[in-house]
Amino acid sequence: MAEQDIEKIGYGFTLFEGMQKDNLGYIYRGLFTQNITDSIISLAENNLESSGESSKVKKRVFSIMVECLQNVTRHQTPQNTICEGPYQAGIFVIQNHNEAYQITSGNVVENSTITQLQEMLNTINSLEKDDLKAYYKQILEDGSISEKGGAGLGLIEMARKSGNKLFYDFKTLDEELSYFYLHTAISKNSESAFNEIDLNNIKNLHEIINRENIILIYNGSLNQEGLIHLLSTIESQPIGAVDVKKKLFNIMVEMLQNIVKHGEKKDDELGGNPGIFFISESNNSYKLSSGNYIKKSIVKELSEKIDYVNGIEGENLDMFYTQRLLNFDIDSSKEAGLGIIDLRMKSGNKLLYSFSEVNDTISFFSLQIII
Amino acid sequence: MEAFIIEKTEETPEIILNPAEHIFKISHRSLPENANGFYAPVFEWLEEFRQNLPDDDIQFVFELEYFNTATAKQIAKILLLLEKISHEVSLEIIWKYRKEDVDMMSSGLRYSKLLDVEFSIQEIEE
Repeated sequence: MAEQDIEKIGYGFTLFEGMQKDNLGYIYRGLFTQNITDSIISLAENNLESSGESSKVKKRVFSIMVECLQNVTRHQTPQNTICEGPYQAGIFVIQNHNEAYQITSGNVVENSTITQLQEMLNTINSLEKDDLKAYYKQILEDGSISEKGGAGLGLIEMARKSGNKLFYDFKTLDEELSYFYLHTAISKNSESAFNEIDLNNIKNLHEIINRENIILIYNGSLNQEGLIHLLSTIESQPIGAVDVKKKLFNIMVEMLQNIVKHGEKKDDELGGNPGIFFISESNNSYKLSSGNYIKKSIVKELSEKIDYVNGIEGENLDMFYTQRLLNFDIDSSKEAGLGIIDLRMKSGNKLLYSFSEVNDTISFFSLQIII
Repeated sequence: MEAFIIEKTEETPEIILNPAEHIFKISHRSLPENANGFYAPVFEWLEEFRQNLPDDDIQFVFELEYFNTATAKQIAKILLLLEKISHEVSLEIIWKYRKEDVDMMSSGLRYSKLLDVEFSIQEIEE
């Protein structure tokens, strides 16, 4: 494999490492629609369920997620509903650290609305809990509801339910548009509040994702149930022709199921196996990348397997598939022995891969498939 | 023999094996994590069915929009079992695919080449 290729797929690892360091439990970047929002919520719900969190905290996390996602959906495209460029795609991140769930959203806003938005946020942040309630009522009675049905009611709700300040930041895109980042935290032990939050990491990450034209990214723990929710986010994406989308879906299933079945955990974390998956688009081709931990002891065997499959094509590849299909000695709940061959056949290209050593027993496996 | 019915979910197919109604059909999609475990009761039922075969012709329909590789192997096993059954009673396998779904059509073609049984690959009328 060319040096350059390895460097490119190693990029997945860098991204993953960065996210792990920052405890980015879950990240989504792309277009936000009702269907996608539902899938994101189900996916986060699945992750929360397996975290063993108290129902009170879970409930608060949900309601804030919903407000936050609705905010992005409503405001992601100024003036009309057509997404004008990939850079307008919103971002949604939920992290689990510092004894709190940290929720951040990012979406495009018109520069002309920034001042008003800032005033609103500052007012909300200056108010105590009871005053927030009164403010909420006042806005309702004023009838000053904006065209998009907002008027900041969602923001007030978020502030009330989180019990924390709403942190925010803007980043200018051009003369007309800026990104609006909004962050809040739900403390696990009620009354410990946050006073300062650094949004730079997420801003940088968002920039990388935009630069690489990543149309969909997921980082987090993955089990079969989560996989199903994640798949429905791709089904709702307005990408490519029907056959391309189907191909993306098929390849995605195999890549993600590889993580669920063969992935390893680095620590004794709860839930599914940690992994990263993203799709980027360039020159009418799609790159699907996955990354997960595996046992260092299987690295050699796995590379040989992929090299072998990469080395054959056409009829030979087809014959090898049939041979494996009928090999019923490999037929367990974990293994059918067909995944890698199937990926090679569906993509029509060689599979790119790399390994990075993590510690004595664990390596990180990056896989990239181009269609 | 009593019918065997599994309702579809987001990750598993609808399966209807109903001799009384002459319906034998696996449809929707199949991507369970443990395909081996999911299809185990299907084999159990088919083995029992093989001991109590009806006189009527059997049409066994596959109408899947997607299946994962773990399922591919289970389908191969089902088809091989149906091939055996076809030695004792008239049986036809019908493999349906949606228009333009080349992958699903080639899968049908691949399976048909492996078997010595009546096997018809049909495009679904929209």
